[in-house]
Amino acid sequence: MNWESKVPSIPIEGSISYEDWLKGRRHRRELSKLAAPGVIRRTGSSSDRRLKKLFQGERGLPFTPTEKL
Amino acid sequence: MDADKITSALADVTAEQDPTVKSLKMASLCSALWAERGVELVVVGGSAIEILTEGAYASGDLDMCHINQATLPIRERQEIMGLLGAKGGPRNWQVAGMYVDVLGPVESFARTPYRRVQGPYGEVRVMTPEDLLVERVLISVYPGENATARECARELATVALAGAVNMNWSEVLRVANLREYRNVNECKALVNEVAHELGIKSPFDPD
Repeated sequence: MNWESKVPSIPIEGSISYEDWLKGRRHRRELSKLAAPGVIRRTGSSSDRRLKKLFQGERGLPFTPTEKL
Repeated sequence: MDADKITSALADVTAEQDPTVKSLKMASLCSALWAERGVELVVVGGSAIEILTEGAYASGDLDMCHINQATLPIRERQEIMGLLGAKGGPRNWQVAGMYVDVLGPVESFARTPYRRVQGPYGEVRVMTPEDLLVERVLISVYPGENATARECARELATVALAGAVNMNWSEVLRVANLREYRNVNECKALVNEVAHELGIKSPFDPD
């Protein structure tokens, strides 16, 4: 994989614009999935009751597939 | 922020179906409203890691803390969140199809600045990745092995090693050496492991 990306990184100093943060989503997801493929959302926590009630039995909204980022 | 802008922002957040973008928009909106009353918020925990990594980790709740020592009085918190049509309180609310928790004063040990994303309604501060990495590595080992925390730490390390998030590695070591963590060996091992898998030099290589 090419580590170099034309997408701006999230800097230590200063800020990243919303547009640049959006543009970098796919690159960050692809990198993350090298380390831990798939959805790694916890399967349970003390917030289960409220989350599952709000999200129809899930613990949050489904993640957007990488190819659509 | 005037009432029309709040109404429009709220409709936007409510309609958003991508969980990470929804969290960032909500953090932007809440940060703006609390800042108008003198309280600076920062996104922490899994929500912060999600904004930095897109790692498909966070749940449907946004965790925030206040940077200022003092938070707002309960009455004022309820008034602000009431502007958003929130239910519940005084530390967690259901709002715009998600949950928002404002947990209390932030615990951060890194000397690096909070990372900042210019959200659609104002700036979002995000917990330092140096704190997040050291904390997640600790949780992956203590009080017992936690595979999800370990995967999460590996994702953050990968994104940082590849340069998509700028990390101060010296600060990672300094924080890991603090008595609050004392997990420098575990942090080094995880970062070295990920760097080796990626085929790149680890910042913690001895040479």
